[in-house]
Amino acid sequence: MTVSSEPAPAASARSGLLAGDARFAVLCALGIAAFPFLIHPIGGYSTLATQIAIVSIASIGFNLLLGYAGSLSYGHAMFYGGGGYLAAILLLRVSPQHPNLWLCVLGATAGTAILAMIVGAVTVRLYGIYFALLTLAFAQMVYFIVEQAKDWTNGDDGLQALPNALLPIGPWTVDLTTHLPSFNLGPFGDVGELRLWYIFAGICLVLVLLFARMLTRSQFGEVLGAIRENEQRSTLIGFNAPAYRLAAFAISGALTGFSGALRAMFDGSVSVDALSIDRSGSFVIYTIVGGVQTLFGPVAGTAVIMFLENVLSARTPAWRLIEGLVFVGVIVFLPRGLSTVLKQQRDKNPRGLFVRSLRPSNEEPDALLRPGGEGRKSGPISIIETFKLGKLFGHFAANHDIDFKVDPGELRAVIGPNGAGKTTFFNLLSGTSAPSSGTINYKGRDVSRLSGTSRVHLGIAKAFQTASLYPDQTVRQNCRLAALARVQGRFALQVFRRSIRLDDVDNLAERAMARLELLDVADVRAGDLSHGDKKRLDIAIALATQPQILLLDEPIAGMSKDEARKTEALIRKLATEMTVLVIEHDMEMVMGISDSITVLHQGTVLATGTPAEIQANPRVQEAYLGGHSEAELAH
Amino acid sequence: MEALFQAMIGGLVLGLIYVAIAVGLTIIFGTLRLVNFAHGAFYAIGAYVGLVIAQHIGVGWAFIAAPIAVALFAVLLDRLVLRSFYDKEPTAQLLVTFGIALVVEESLRLIFGATTQQYTMPAALQGSVTLGPITYPAYRLLFAGGVIVMLALVWLFIERTNYGLIVRAGIRDRTMVQLLGGNIRQASTIVFALGAAIAGLVGAAATPIYSIDPGTGFAFLVPSFVVVVVGGLGSFWGAVLGGLLIGELQSLTNLAYAPASNVVIYLCMALILLLRPQGLLGESEVIRQ
Repeated sequence: MTVSSEPAPAASARSGLLAGDARFAVLCALGIAAFPFLIHPIGGYSTLATQIAIVSIASIGFNLLLGYAGSLSYGHAMFYGGGGYLAAILLLRVSPQHPNLWLCVLGATAGTAILAMIVGAVTVRLYGIYFALLTLAFAQMVYFIVEQAKDWTNGDDGLQALPNALLPIGPWTVDLTTHLPSFNLGPFGDVGELRLWYIFAGICLVLVLLFARMLTRSQFGEVLGAIRENEQRSTLIGFNAPAYRLAAFAISGALTGFSGALRAMFDGSVSVDALSIDRSGSFVIYTIVGGVQTLFGPVAGTAVIMFLENVLSARTPAWRLIEGLVFVGVIVFLPRGLSTVLKQQRDKNPRGLFVRSLRPSNEEPDALLRPGGEGRKSGPISIIETFKLGKLFGHFAANHDIDFKVDPGELRAVIGPNGAGKTTFFNLLSGTSAPSSGTINYKGRDVSRLSGTSRVHLGIAKAFQTASLYPDQTVRQNCRLAALARVQGRFALQVFRRSIRLDDVDNLAERAMARLELLDVADVRAGDLSHGDKKRLDIAIALATQPQILLLDEPIAGMSKDEARKTEALIRKLATEMTVLVIEHDMEMVMGISDSITVLHQGTVLATGTPAEIQANPRVQEAYLGGHSEAELAH
Repeated sequence: MEALFQAMIGGLVLGLIYVAIAVGLTIIFGTLRLVNFAHGAFYAIGAYVGLVIAQHIGVGWAFIAAPIAVALFAVLLDRLVLRSFYDKEPTAQLLVTFGIALVVEESLRLIFGATTQQYTMPAALQGSVTLGPITYPAYRLLFAGGVIVMLALVWLFIERTNYGLIVRAGIRDRTMVQLLGGNIRQASTIVFALGAAIAGLVGAAATPIYSIDPGTGFAFLVPSFVVVVVGGLGSFWGAVLGGLLIGELQSLTNLAYAPASNVVIYLCMALILLLRPQGLLGESEVIRQ
């Protein structure tokens, strides 16, 4: 066993992410403290500074979704405005004589978190423009409901002149509208212009920044990034991708709601503008201008644009045009945002948001085929077994009546002419697609209805026909992600801990790399590997989930002769420890390594037997004529 | 009964505008794989060009100048900005075209002011037509007829020309089309200009009915996207069916319970996305974007 390259001293394992956090918080606090005075000479004022601090929180929330989960929401106004209205209603309806800021703001945040979970449960299944439009649709519905519920929300006029909510802290009750003591800073204004509100908003912002920093570096953030980069692979190493996307959506919505609630309390009013399309659009602009996938980007973007909005608008009617030009300019010339100008971001994920990522998809059957052949009887002991398994695509039966049975420890090859339904069959076994009929038993348990993610955790793993990797991550990190899924389970809201500290993960990943002879390239970016190494890495990823059955879809396809023989030897070694099912066209390999062979033809089983039996079977020879020659088969 | 009939014709006219914008969106998506949030801007530019020409030169010229001006603008935009976004995430396309829409909207606001404007039709077109118990403004009916003729021409273009063949093939498999020949680039430009010109022409022609302000383009764009999603991204007949459905739905809801007319289309879209995510007439391959 090799030692991980990540230093993980036992002492610091406990402190986890906290190392460096204090310094980070202090720096943030200093920046926020200086901000109102820095903008004073160029026309800024204290109310604006407070509003910027508050709205920045919403932008950070928005960026968690766009930057880290990769989903563009065009409906975040529903959380921002929703938080504002909830806080205002709590203020007016629950003891308006003694309004409590904690109650209003935290109650509203909880409310928007629930709203986000409901909306998210429906929207997370969609991607790209569909996701954006569905979130927009929900935002419009919320807008409509709020506008119509006039008894509670006062319709188009909104709730104005809200009573001032006080902030009880221990024995004291703080009135946030109190001004700070006066202290003249010359051209930078006077400290006394600020109210306590700014300090409160600043503290909230620092806490949210700390939270966001922790979240993006945590195990949760790591998995979220993996899902963004390759959702198909993430699902089939055992991460529950929809649950992660939902959690990200809920956290994002709650932060935005928190911001909206603070804003309503600070302004003393809330109106339907807070729920409008323009509001949703503004979070997009703030975040993009500042820089997606960066911690301070959304804050910087919010500050710049809100400053332009409020200060420039007094000087020129063209300010919105300038804002638009800045926005387009940033997207075209600085796709990672303004903050990259100030500080060169570590290019951990250089392709980021602006490339097509892989989505889960069902691999379609290769070609047309018609029913034929017969089933096979099954015996008592088996690790995986199917009964009358079938898959329809429309009216076309890609698989039908497949009775199939594999004993533990067997190395079974699944062969058949192109279009025989081999990949479809593997997709059914791995849970990538659901069967139309029949059942799949794994160790005697019916798993036909289980998702691919669940089956990975039971011990069924798959390597794809076209290697499905995380191209921007190192080979090691590719394997670590799979190992992490094994160690942590389908979903873990592990936002406070980094997975780097998990020794088990490193060990599993190391072992998987060692078994596929990938240690030499452990720190190479997966996208830069040779074809053969990519295919082997795909197997290593599957292996790192600790499977009991490994499904390999054409593991040596496209490899050179030498590479193929090397991979073949590795597979043979793997087969001594687990059950291996392999689809392959290379007959030399199939005949050489298989314990037994199942021939699929026209969507169903034509024959099963030892290599010798299969070679001698006249029906198999017949099926292969035209595809492979007899000589090739007998090789 | 009369009100119902009025609402239905109103819904038809509105629906046809959506169809015209949505058809442009759909053929552009099909050929270029571009999710174009700036399409509403084409409508708005067409409307303002039409307004200026109609007021200073003549209404007839407005209908010629608007689509040409918008097509030129679109080609310029395509060459200068959008070209580098064709192969990027739909999310990035959405963002850049959203930005362009913003810039166009604000430029129009600076040039023409924020007020709502309209031009009047020549006297000959101002009358009303009586159909049984209903009288309806003649121009609206003419408008509806004109849009239908235009859509028929677009359909012929898609079904009968070589460029149309590329459009149809591109919707199914863009990579394959690229591999088969070099002129998808030229076809893309033509399709982009055509889609834009349609929106521009409709913008100019609809101004006497709906009037125009700088935000109108975006206001029409969002329902048009709803139309495309409901009908099925990439499907011509989907855009037609979706547009008429959404137009009528909005108009009839307005009659029944006015405040709900703005939300009902989103409700409709949400249901479609959940029950039949590829849209009413869409092909399932296009959905995974």
